[in-house]
Amino acid sequence: MNRREFVKGAALGVGMGAIGAMGVYSYSPMRRAFLKDVKRGTADIGVCKAVRITNISETSWFDNGVFMQDVTGAGGLLVDQYTFNWAPFGNGKGVGKGSYAEGIKQIKPLLPNKLEEAWAIAQEKSVHADNAGGFSCLVEIEDMDGNVTKYLFDTGWNYVWMDTCYKREGIDTMLANNEIKAMIQTHEHMDHFWGLPAVTRYNPNIHIYTPNSFYPEGKQYIKDCGHVGKVTEVPKGLHKIQDGVALYGFDCPIIFRVFGEISMYCNVKDVGLVSITGCCHQGIILFADTAYKELAYEKDQFYGLYGGLHISPFDDWDPKYDDLVIGLKKWDLQKVGCNHCTGLITAQKFVDAGYPVVKGSARFRSKTTNYLGNGDVIKFPS
Amino acid sequence: MAEHDIPYLEERKLIKRWRGPLPMLANLALTLSIFAVTWWIFQDPRGVMRFYTPYVGYNYCRWWLIILIWMAYIFDFWPFKKDWVRHAHPVQKGVVLSLVSVGIMILIIHGFFEGVLGNTAFAYFNPAQLQKLPGITEFYAVEYAAQACMMFAVIASWISPAWIVALEGRPWENQKQPVKGLSIWIGTFCLSLVIYFMTMHNHMGILYYPWQYFTAITPPYWENFAHTVSANFHVAWIMCCTVVVWFMEGIWERYPFCLIKTPWLRRFAMFFGIIAISVSLCFFFWYMQELVWGDAIRGHRRDAAPDWRWLHVGETAIFFLVPALFLQFYGGNWPNKFSTQVNVLLRTLIVIAGGIAVYCLYYKYAHFLLGTQKGFSHPQQFPMIPMIWLINIWLINWWFMDGWPGWRRELRSAEEVRAGERAIEERDTWHPAMAPGLVVGIVVGVVVYFAIVAALPWFSAHFTLVQ
Repeated sequence: MNRREFVKGAALGVGMGAIGAMGVYSYSPMRRAFLKDVKRGTADIGVCKAVRITNISETSWFDNGVFMQDVTGAGGLLVDQYTFNWAPFGNGKGVGKGSYAEGIKQIKPLLPNKLEEAWAIAQEKSVHADNAGGFSCLVEIEDMDGNVTKYLFDTGWNYVWMDTCYKREGIDTMLANNEIKAMIQTHEHMDHFWGLPAVTRYNPNIHIYTPNSFYPEGKQYIKDCGHVGKVTEVPKGLHKIQDGVALYGFDCPIIFRVFGEISMYCNVKDVGLVSITGCCHQGIILFADTAYKELAYEKDQFYGLYGGLHISPFDDWDPKYDDLVIGLKKWDLQKVGCNHCTGLITAQKFVDAGYPVVKGSARFRSKTTNYLGNGDVIKFPS
Repeated sequence: MAEHDIPYLEERKLIKRWRGPLPMLANLALTLSIFAVTWWIFQDPRGVMRFYTPYVGYNYCRWWLIILIWMAYIFDFWPFKKDWVRHAHPVQKGVVLSLVSVGIMILIIHGFFEGVLGNTAFAYFNPAQLQKLPGITEFYAVEYAAQACMMFAVIASWISPAWIVALEGRPWENQKQPVKGLSIWIGTFCLSLVIYFMTMHNHMGILYYPWQYFTAITPPYWENFAHTVSANFHVAWIMCCTVVVWFMEGIWERYPFCLIKTPWLRRFAMFFGIIAISVSLCFFFWYMQELVWGDAIRGHRRDAAPDWRWLHVGETAIFFLVPALFLQFYGGNWPNKFSTQVNVLLRTLIVIAGGIAVYCLYYKYAHFLLGTQKGFSHPQQFPMIPMIWLINIWLINWWFMDGWPGWRRELRSAEEVRAGERAIEERDTWHPAMAPGLVVGIVVGVVVYFAIVAALPWFSAHFTLVQ
């Protein structure tokens, strides 16, 4: 045997064998031999009796065209939100030229009690301050003994708008009376978080849950808003907060330089799992799939879903969103209350596809009855 | 072959100016500096022009790549005179040719696609036409138009070099410039257009609500096979084709297809062989993700989404192109002292190691260094943009600037070029004594494949790249 020629052939053969195996095996049904089967989750978070959600505000911004004009001007969806020069952190230098430090300096002495004055400064120094709205909802959990625990989900964006909405739904009084056990800050986005002084104004001691991935500006803002209560940073994974209710931290990169989001699972006795989300940047399929892989829940039924489902928040579209509309069918949802960043086209596609979308009243600047709009209430079970 | 018929890139011989790794380090420092400055000016979301939206920036860098390939590979620098190309200072050539390439790029994107096709044929190429659709914002109109245009570039960046590398420029190889260049350009452009219709047009049809059933086939024919209606499925295998073409031309020295001595058979075998190898890689990169992250889930928005998994196949391929081109250009296609087969195998191993290193570095540090999204799977996360941006700069340095400052250029005579081709011809021959080794090698290759497949879940469980 010619050793030199053998080595040449062997060198050639290794490549051919490896590439050949890649082509023949890697996408064939045989490949499943090396893939783990998905196991049903068994974590027990207990049960609750019912869940009631009041939509305080789902309108994060009022004009999508104006909002996207800012996004375009600043350089796109990946630009750091604190540099947009959006209210309340405006410095008067124009779109895309802001910073947290310069913005907060001008309003910090007024927080949290002189919100109107602070917002007036923000209006002057920021871009399109009047376009800002916010996302916030009240989640009421009835336990098996009939006691109700209230959680505030997010704090919106525009101080004045949020304050008005809180007063409309009586949240100001609930906060002042310590009726709300905790605030769940789902993620760091401006439309969910920057309205925080509208909460700390009434209760600076409120217990706040945040993802453990806030950027330094976000952590500082909580302090700058006059908050003096407990802050719990929720890491990736399951975090039970009471019987039948758990938060779940998702590590996910998000536009405007934000990372991580927490959502809520509620296990409703004899009904199934109800999932509540701020923006659901992790995606609703991952949201559902995570519950399936980790939790044991009543009747093995993924029953209900509420919140912004973050599919086409800017009325954009992509074929992968159709994958979602098609793929959601297998979860057999019984009740969906969607709004906010779900997207008007998506909500319409859900309705067209026959999903059980709970219609809203389209009041207080909500745009469609396909959304569970501002001031609307959804209950699980009905 | 007369001297004026030899393409410039073939007639030149690049000689290191200094011994050891100095030339490589000098060029690396220069090109990385240019990358850093230009990235900040043009692409970085924290920088000046912020083209990384991401599709606007992706469209530009992708088209720039094609223009560079056209100028150097297809048109052989025509209409610039050979004399100027041979004797102008590398920096002068780099600046002039780069500016011309950018000018052509703008003309093609905004003139032809946006202006001509967008106003006379396909509305989705033109943001202003797209904005006539109720509800669509200017931002997304620009993004969709850029995406449509970019998708054409994805196909052209495979077909254009494949025509030269695999089909050896046939049937126009003996024509003079510009006939040769224009013929190949029109041929590859038309072929790319046909492939575009069959792979990407359906994707654009789904962007509208309701789906444009009567102008594009929706849902597309690949839906059940790829588990998505997104054309990212095609981006996956086409990106692999783009990468394999350059592997074939560079680190693989057209091996093993150069063993085929019947010209027409060799050309077709290489053209379709590139596709076969690419599809194999494409499936493997998909499988790797299943092994590491678990099954794909239709409708998922992140790392389990089938459309993103296919996109990530293409992204993964590009991570391996970076070390391959670096090794070919600045590493002198090292090693060279063994037989071609062994050299090719060793280079491939080096490129695999390099690609894994670049992949890890990117996902660990790009968020801070390049201003891109943290993590793997955000819809706005496009590692192909910085990778191709860097590749563009290397192509300019190597093709337009003759490897300045680390290398100087000498010219080979027609006789030297012919002698070189004859030597390669004689070297690359099949010998029956290779057969036993080939059989053993194939078995080893299959074993290695399954060893990797078995090891990946373990690595996934014990190693976290992005916290």
